Amino acid sequence: MDSVVAFAVFGVDWEFFKPYIVLGLALGGVYALSGVGIVVLYQATGVLNLAFGAIGAAGALIAYWMINHTSWPHWLAYVTCVAFGGVVNLAYGLFFGPAFAARDPLVKMMGTLGLALILLGLMAWRAPVGGAFARFLPLPSSSHTFTVFGAFVNWTQVIALVFAIALTVVTTAFLRYTNLGTAYRAIANDREITATLGVPVRRVEASAWFGSGLVAGAAGLLLPDLLTSLDYAALTFLVIAALAAALIGRLQSLWVTLLGGLAVGLAQALFAPYASITQYRSAAPFVLAIVALLWLSRRRVVTITRTAR
Amino acid sequence: MSVTPSPGQDTAAAARAALTLDRGTAVRVVAIAAFLAIALFALPTIGADWTTTFTSVAIYSIITLGLGILYGRVGLISLGQVALLVIGVWTATRLNFATGLSFPLVLLLSGLITCAIGVLIGLPAIRLSGLHLALITLMAAGAVNVVLVAINFPNGGGGFTGRTSTPDLSGLQAVRRPSIAEGDTAYYRYVVVVAALVFLVALLHVRSKPGRAWAAIRESEPAALAAGVNVVFYKLWAFALASFMAGVAGALLAAQVGQPTAQSFQTQDSLTLLAVTLIGGIYSLWGAVVAGCFSQLLPFLFQVQWGFNPNFVLILFGAGLLQVLLTAPGGLAQQFPKDMASLGRLAWRGVGKVTGRGGRT
Amino acid sequence: MIEVDGLTVRFAGVTPIDGMNVTFPGGTCGLIGPNGAGKTTFFNVLSGFVKPAAGSIRAFGEDILRMADYRRARWGLRRTFQTEQAIEQLSVFDNVAMIYEHSGVKGAGKRAEVQAAIDFVGLETPPRARVGGLGARERRLVEVARAVVGSPRVVLLDEPAAGLPEEETEHLRRVIQAIPGQFGALVVLVDHDMSLVRACCETTAVLDFGKLIASGPTAEVLRDENVIRAYLGTEDVA
Repeated sequence: MDSVVAFAVFGVDWEFFKPYIVLGLALGGVYALSGVGIVVLYQATGVLNLAFGAIGAAGALIAYWMINHTSWPHWLAYVTCVAFGGVVNLAYGLFFGPAFAARDPLVKMMGTLGLALILLGLMAWRAPVGGAFARFLPLPSSSHTFTVFGAFVNWTQVIALVFAIALTVVTTAFLRYTNLGTAYRAIANDREITATLGVPVRRVEASAWFGSGLVAGAAGLLLPDLLTSLDYAALTFLVIAALAAALIGRLQSLWVTLLGGLAVGLAQALFAPYASITQYRSAAPFVLAIVALLWLSRRRVVTITRTAR
Repeated sequence: MSVTPSPGQDTAAAARAALTLDRGTAVRVVAIAAFLAIALFALPTIGADWTTTFTSVAIYSIITLGLGILYGRVGLISLGQVALLVIGVWTATRLNFATGLSFPLVLLLSGLITCAIGVLIGLPAIRLSGLHLALITLMAAGAVNVVLVAINFPNGGGGFTGRTSTPDLSGLQAVRRPSIAEGDTAYYRYVVVVAALVFLVALLHVRSKPGRAWAAIRESEPAALAAGVNVVFYKLWAFALASFMAGVAGALLAAQVGQPTAQSFQTQDSLTLLAVTLIGGIYSLWGAVVAGCFSQLLPFLFQVQWGFNPNFVLILFGAGLLQVLLTAPGGLAQQFPKDMASLGRLAWRGVGKVTGRGGRT
Repeated sequence: MIEVDGLTVRFAGVTPIDGMNVTFPGGTCGLIGPNGAGKTTFFNVLSGFVKPAAGSIRAFGEDILRMADYRRARWGLRRTFQTEQAIEQLSVFDNVAMIYEHSGVKGAGKRAEVQAAIDFVGLETPPRARVGGLGARERRLVEVARAVVGSPRVVLLDEPAAGLPEEETEHLRRVIQAIPGQFGALVVLVDHDMSLVRACCETTAVLDFGKLIASGPTAEVLRDENVIRAYLGTEDVA
């Protein structure tokens, strides 16, 4: 990951790259905070939520509708987007979480694919795309810019990056120093034993679903602005970039997830100006994720228990 | 304790067993024959766009068969089967434009090349846990999608990608169909025959050594290893088989469509494929046929016949997937006969109550 | 004969086996020790599921650790598991015959050998019956049959009598005692049932905290002070 930054330092035109670095860091920030949301939920419930992007996309569409088809204040739309994420995620967790609790992580993940399909269907049905029609969800913070190290930065980009760092710091502290955070870690270790210790497992899991959902909503709010258009399909599958970040962090370390997310964002953005490979830059998250997965799974362990399906 | 039969008795008994089909197998053979007869002769008579749809159903049955075997028999999930399908389409199209090879050869080569690529992707990942393998295949699928959008499908041009931005409009080339099956109905029958052959290959696998090895691997890898099964090899074999099927399906699809475009393959197709495969039923080969119907027939019915928004099927698939995962792991292929049997028993009992006789189940 | 030399296994911050040196001379050998002593880990190293950090294992002159895991079964290393792992979906016959399918041995004598193994363990169910429909006792016997079919060289039995009532344990005892005579294989028996170990094993090795603390004729080992202390703890604790 460092090689990308090192490359930029070694004698290549800084000025040229600045806008891409800014965009890369901002995007990377959103990937990183999504990654953190995914990791914490996985730790607390064992569910790798592949519907993360779809939830954000749906929230963004609702915000879009509120802004363009009602006279309600814009801030309400933004709040709704974030809250929607929390509510939908929580609903799924309350409704389906217990049913999947005893199954293995693969099956739990497939359940979230079901959720993603349902959301995609709803979005395609009620918010069809066609031809030249495009949706936009600009945030007020984007209209304010300033210069940093000679590069133009708008406040949305700053929010994305700062929020990512802040979330990582707060969540790490939360997991280490609060009772609820300790409960998360205990459940991640062994759900059954934690329950016998008197920890209200269901309630703790519900809080994880809700918190993770809020992050999904926030990501859904920031991305259309950073990417300049609201494409719900693209937003849904950006979960893969977030997943790449989470996998780089081995689904454990939040700080490495943060760095991984920034690396993925930077890689994607820095390939943009090169005509020969720019079309392939969206593949950066996938390639990085594959490399991370293979590197992390070098040692193979055979489980000596019968697979429960 | 049973008396061990003498060698003479043993051989005679074995010979008798081979000649008389037991009732279960006989029923199955008849059912398959009837199904094929209907598919080949009755279905094409309904209408032209129905025939096209049924062709798609047959093609997608092949690819869901691969995924079904991979998950149902071995316990591995690949979220990249549509990517392999795309590779199959691409390979067939490229071979078609670059060479004059006959269709069966293109079909076989597409299958083999896609198989090789699938094994290459699977090889480093096969030792990983199920979750990690699923994620790697998802990532690979995403990467393939990006590449596809970048280079699109060949259209007769030169170079590696075989695509020119200024195709010769006077003779817009299409992928050639087999010379014996150029019309839509004839091509439909050709596809059904190929599909039947692929299903036969699958059946032979499942009923013999690989099938038994897969069953052991799925239930208990340690037990399989302790019995001498080369687990890595057999997992790769299943992967190779599923990839081969995707390649064959891709070639068939290329010739059906004529001029494939990148827009017809979306990232979400991998998800819908997984959903319909599970809904159809992963523990029975019939499930793949059901899955093909869900994948291709249902949207057609929704959109063309009933006038509903086809995106509604996505919601159905998502809900269906959740239901299968939670309550009916065998999918429709397993659930439907059970439900029919229960209904039958209920009806029989009802008849008994009404007529006062013959109601015993 | 199995010679274990300096075997060490480390993972996840624990050292389940720590410089284990032991020789299993032949016939039926017991391997006992308190819970967590490393017995099942040792079996897992033999099976190839766990890679040791150091050490070697030679069985009948061959370096076991150098063989690929699936090859060991073909060579003749067989095993049963603590929780029985017969394949439910397959028939009794297919379960027991699996080692043949994957050993490159041609099928000529296969049916006879499989039937011989099934008869040897005293399994009376029809060979084509699906294992999923059988009870715990039958499933355990299927596993044992799979472990002894053909020409086994080393048979590892991991608590084979666990969860079985008295008469079944009796039956199993007779089967285990007959294995070395019938098949010429070396049996290593791990169990907590001391009467079973006493009855079946001529020699016994004792593990505690991953190290060998006693080995020799079973009767002597079971009287050894160190062994008793390992199981019951020291008297000084009071």
